[in-house]
Parts: sequence; structure tokens; C-alpha cells
Amino acid sequence: MSDSSTASITVHVWRGNSEGGSFDEFQVPQQPSQTILDIVTWIQRNLDAGLSYRFACRVGMCGSCAMMVNGIPRWTCRTHVNKVMRDKQLTIEPLRNLPVIKDLACDMSEFFAKWNQAQGQFQGSTTRDEKIAPISPCSPEREAANAAIECINCAICYASCDVVAWNRDYLGPAALNRAWSLQNDVRDTAGESRLAAVAGDAGCHRCHSQQGCASYCPNELNPTASIAGLKRLTASDFLRRRYRSRHA
Amino acid sequence: MQFQTLKTDVLILGSGGAGLFAALHASRANPGLDITIAIKGLLGKCGCTRMVQGGYNVALSPGDSVERHFMDTISGGKWLPDQDMAMRLCETAVIRVQELENELGCFFDRNDDGSLHHKAFAGQTFDRTVHKGDLTGIEIISRLMEQVRALPLQMMEEHRALALLPSRDGDVLAGVLLVDMRSGEFRVVKAKTVLLATGGGPTMYRYHTPSGDKSMDGLAMSLRLGLGLRDMEMVQFHPTGLLAGRDTRMTGTVLEEGLRGAGGYLLDGQGERFMLNYDAEGERATRDIVSRAIYAEMRAGRTTSNGGVYIAMSHLGPDLVAAKFPGMVKRCADCGFDLAAGRVEVVPTAHYFMGGVVVTTDTRTAMPGLFVAGEDAGGAHGANRLGGNGVANSTVFGGIAGDEMAAQASLQNHWVEPDSEVIEAAMERSMLPFRQAAGSINSIRDRLLDLMWDDVGVLRDADGIKRAQVEMVALKTELQACGLADDNRVFNLSWHDWLNLSSLIEVSEVIAAAALSRENSRGAHYREDFPEVGSLDDSYFTIAHSDPEKVGQTVRVECQPVEFSIVKPGESLIH
Repeated sequence: MSDSSTASITVHVWRGNSEGGSFDEFQVPQQPSQTILDIVTWIQRNLDAGLSYRFACRVGMCGSCAMMVNGIPRWTCRTHVNKVMRDKQLTIEPLRNLPVIKDLACDMSEFFAKWNQAQGQFQGSTTRDEKIAPISPCSPEREAANAAIECINCAICYASCDVVAWNRDYLGPAALNRAWSLQNDVRDTAGESRLAAVAGDAGCHRCHSQQGCASYCPNELNPTASIAGLKRLTASDFLRRRYRSRHA
Repeated sequence: MQFQTLKTDVLILGSGGAGLFAALHASRANPGLDITIAIKGLLGKCGCTRMVQGGYNVALSPGDSVERHFMDTISGGKWLPDQDMAMRLCETAVIRVQELENELGCFFDRNDDGSLHHKAFAGQTFDRTVHKGDLTGIEIISRLMEQVRALPLQMMEEHRALALLPSRDGDVLAGVLLVDMRSGEFRVVKAKTVLLATGGGPTMYRYHTPSGDKSMDGLAMSLRLGLGLRDMEMVQFHPTGLLAGRDTRMTGTVLEEGLRGAGGYLLDGQGERFMLNYDAEGERATRDIVSRAIYAEMRAGRTTSNGGVYIAMSHLGPDLVAAKFPGMVKRCADCGFDLAAGRVEVVPTAHYFMGGVVVTTDTRTAMPGLFVAGEDAGGAHGANRLGGNGVANSTVFGGIAGDEMAAQASLQNHWVEPDSEVIEAAMERSMLPFRQAAGSINSIRDRLLDLMWDDVGVLRDADGIKRAQVEMVALKTELQACGLADDNRVFNLSWHDWLNLSSLIEVSEVIAAAALSRENSRGAHYREDFPEVGSLDDSYFTIAHSDPEKVGQTVRVECQPVEFSIVKPGESLIH
């Protein structure tokens, strides 16, 4: 209850669980330094002890605290109130496209299950007993791998994706972006099976290039471009296989 | 009270560098084992390894050596580290970094010729810190997380450990009591082996850097099990935490070391530089010196509006600052501050806990069946941790723990029955706030944070510590009587705030007692009434025991001489 809290903000917060819910309204004093996470924390600490939400690192490194803020998916820990508030009003909802556990906390299991389905794990050919491979940071493959690598799996892209909303099986931008990064990693040996994993009905060809993921990624990654890369790879792989089968 | 019972061969608590490496190693050592990993948050997303900015110390570059890394660790730790642990750390770091790159897919920064880049980091005599930009932890944890998520293990996300459960006779560890935070239900997991890797994280200070889920639960549970904790007075402060007011979670988060290294100025409330009054190195002095200087300025009242000092970078040229520190500049901008062209308020902030459970070099404890690795374990860092040795410590010893637990669990064909009285008492204790009238948990938290900051913080003396000890007894009693305003156990953050505070107070009592007992100033521990370092040859470390069930000050602290098993003060392995 700082002295600077002269104005108050009207905050509409979604309350409920997997079976449904509705909005509660709260008045929160405005502070000079205040993020959306601080608003939610204030409500839980001072107005409604039962409000559920998730956060961890507080600085945009863990990707635990994403929510819909005035309809847009955002890291709440790094979103200053002044940036998003309209007419002293805020609306805060759980992340879109994921099942709700309670209030503002979602179940991210399907998001990570799809990471697995897209074979989003490195598979190398050398061991801990061998030296680290010299790899030029300026090689085109490494630059492509690096361009997609700084993902913290916050699921903002997943929440912004209309294709995920239409097709619950679609692997989604984060998992496909990871697959693309790995396809460009010259040390990785699982490229062929990963390409098969992302080429299926729920894979890269489902993307409509609507760019929601690229527009909202707080790390300014471009999953749409990664997915376009996978589409090219799968297409050339398909042609190569067809050629081989006809000329075998 | 009701609880569900599960069984597993290997139970891992925590999913930072230690927990995830333990899971990978245990699974690889024996794929037939049933492995369970229980985490207070989401797997790989809570905890502090992910927040590592600097990098990973490893003697891999030509001209460097394990011996040199070891000597820097011993000297940085002011001769208090357990030397066998420190040596195991430095030796194994080499294999671990190769494992991270070759087997798990991390890609650390390279030189133009493709070789691994090693950067300079404070307190080291060789450029040996491997890194990925200033987001090394994200790369390490992301790659570990995706590997672990692909393993056929049992994941218990958002399960908080409440008690380590001994057998009826108290001879071995039999399992762990947890609460499923999503449902509020209790679960007992019987396990042949348990790894405690919940991370330290000194969040009982007004200003702190660790992830918000950290609350010293691991050390509090270890105390209740009767285990000794060493070096508990050793709390590392980072000099520049963001200061943005009391009601924002941004406050306390780290503004990186490199800002001062690059030539950043620290200014008092009037805009005057002050560091040269304290040290000839100015702003580039080591973390502990800068933290103490800022604290002294604050105590003298030469502060900014929020009670800290400023960091200023603009004299270096705003464009250059923005190009060199893009992550920091963007983070400050998101929070409403202009780091490149303006001034940002900062304050020293509690960062890392050197103290922890007494362990052997293979992560075993005095309680058979219980293993401890990462920040929950004491010994590797002594009185001060080198930047870059934290993530090395958690990944090295986490992997070792996984190997050891797999070997032990593979040989054991039975589970031990946990002591039902301990289960009942722990459930009862955790349900206490639901049986009391709603109280003000915020004021108890505020008082604890201020108390630790003011009296058991950067600068300490006997009067202050004793004052804090008296107040802590009162806080403990008040917390017991403080109920919750919401009685639904489902995803109830306020309940977990209460449980967090309970752990924090119990561990704070131990920090205070250890700080009172060490009547000299070493590394992170500075006593204004005993400013001398003390004889290096007679170096000792503290071991604390406590009985949190008893009322009053119940911590016992004893001192043990450091065994200079590899090198004595005055000697060196480098010739």
C-alpha cells in the first residue's frame, strides 16, 4: 500500500476450472513499477487469497507465467501495466488453447507431449569421452539452427495459433520450431525420423502461415519461417524418395 | 488423514541441473529402474539453473588445467571448501560439458575457428567459462528437459515435498511425503533411494534473485530429519539487483555483472561515484566488496528514492550499451527503465547459498538412502562461490547422484516402511493454517525479509544477529497462529506461501546461529565486530543442527577443522 497508489485499476480476472468459469472484478492500486504479474500477485495477497496462477523466475527466462492480457498472450512478468492498460482497465485470462487447471493456471502437458512427438530431442553420434566438435558459428546451417534456438517454451505461440484451435492434434509452432533447429544441427543424427514425424497429418503442412506465433513471440523468434523450412525439407525429401523408387 | 501411497526405485526432488542430470544418469545406468521425478513447479521451468547467465567453469582450453580450476575454487572459497569435493567438481566438469554438447545437444558459443569460446569471469586466473551468450542456463536446462521428458519416467509436476520420511527405527530413508499442489491431496512415495535437489535460494532476504518458487524446503526438511548443515552463515550477495519498489516481483532480480566490468558506474542518490572510496578497483572490485560498499552507502542514507543506488551506463554511449547488453536493456525497458541512456536503481541482492547438507563426494549423506546434490549440498564452494561454479556443481553432482542411486536401487529388492508417525505429524503441520482464523501472512513475510536484510545480511554484528534471533522466535509463533482466508486446497498459492514462510523461518534461524558463531570475516560472511579473516591454517567450518519442533532458539552450531586433504594454505598445485 504505497503512497504512490493514487489511481486504481479495474482488473477483470477469469476464475474457474476445466468445466468453465466467469470473470471477477478487482480494484488494484496503480504503482509506478508494476507488471501484470504484480497485479495478479496483489490480488492474491490482498484481495482474494484463493486466486490461482503460475510463475517462477520473474524475469522472462522460464516461460511459466504467460497469460492472455486484454486478449493477447504475454509473459506477465515482463509486461508493464502502462504498456497494455486501456482506460484503467485490464482483462486477464488463462492462456488460450490449453486446458485450465484453475483460474489463470493451465495444464501444459499436451504442449510438451507434442514437443516429444516432433522428436524435439538431440541425438548425437559422439560421447562424453570425446572432444567437442569444432563448428564454425558462421556456417549457414549453424546460423539457421541458432535463429530458432532461443525458445523458452512459454507456449505464447501455441496460444496465438488458430490452427491449434481448429485442430487439437496439430503439433504447433514451438515443437515444429524446435524440430527445424535440430534439422540444421550438423551434429544431430535423427534427421530422417524427425522429418517423418513432422511431415504427417498433424505436422508442418497444417500451418497456414498466419504469423500469429511470429507476431507474439516475446523472444522475437519466427516459428512460421521455421515451419516453412520444414515444409521445404519434407517436399524435397518426398521428391527424392519418389525418384529413387522409380529408378531403383 | 488420507494419503495415497506409491512406490518407486529412484525418487528425485527437483528439476534443475542436479535433478535432471540424476534422472538421465539413473535411467541410463539401469533402464529397468522405476524413476520418479517430483517438482514444485513444472519440469525444467522452475528452479534456478535455468536462470544462469554467466556460464560454466571448465578446464578445457589449452594451457588451462583441472589443478588451476581447483586452486581458483579453493582460493575463491577462502580455504573453506571441502577439497575432495572441489577436486571432484573440477575433474568431472570436463566430462559433463562434453556430455552436454555431444550427448544432449547443447551448443555453447564458439570462436571463429569453431573451437569452444571460454570467457573471463571474476576470481579466476584463466579464461575458462563456457557459455551461450548470457543465457547459458536456458540452453542447458532446455536441452536437459527435452531429453528427460522423452524418458519413460514418472513425472509428478507441481508436487511439493513436505517431509523426508525415515523408517520406523530411523536408520534409513524410506520415502517422501508430498502434496499434489493441483488437487491438494497428500501422496507418500516409498523409494529405495531419494535425491534431494530442490535448490537452495536465499529468498528470506528483502532483496533476492532466485526463482519465486524457491523457499529452502530441502534444507528445512533435512533439519527435521536431524541432518547437519554446514557453512550456513555463507550467503552470497550479488551487488546489483534491480530496485523498483516493494510491490513488484521485479525487485531483486539480477542486473548482470558484465555491466560493471564494461565500465558502468555506481552512483549514490546525489549522482556521485563512490566505489573508489572503498576499493582501488572501483566498480570492478569483486562481488562481496561492491555489495558491502553499496550496503554501507545505503546505511549512511546516501540513497535513491527507493533506498538504493544507481547504475549508470550512458557515458559509454547508449548505442554501444544497447549493442553489448541487448538482453539487459530489453528487460529494463519492458519494466519501464532506460539502462542504455538513463540510470537504473540497484541494490545488493541475496543470490546463492553456499551452505547445505553435509555430503560425501559421491553425494551420500549420514542417512542411508538419501542423496543430496546441487545447492542443497554444502562443501564445494566454502565461503564463496565463483561465478560459473554453480551450474558446474549442480550438473556434476546430479549426474554422480544418478549413477550412485541406480547402483544402490538395483541391488535392493525391497522397500522400507516409512514411520507413520512422521507422516501424520507432517500432514498435521502442513494443515495447521486451515485450522486457524485468517491472519496477515503478508506482514509476517515482510518482517522476516526486513529482519534478515537488516540484521543477518551483508554486514553483521552480534547485537543485530541476537536481535534477529529473538524476533524470529516471535515470527514462528505468529505464523503458527496465522490462518488462511481460503480453505480450498486446490492450487492454493496462499497455502504454499504459508508453507514457504515456514521453511524460510526455520532455515533463517540456522543462518543466524551460524553467523553468530563465526567470529571472523570470510568470503561472503562479514562481521563488523570481527572484521579479520582469521588464521588460514586454523580454518574451520560450521555444522548446525536444529530441532524445529521445539520452541525458542534450538540451533546447535559446532565447528570442525577444514581437512586440507589436497593442498594447505601457502601451497599450490600450480608450479
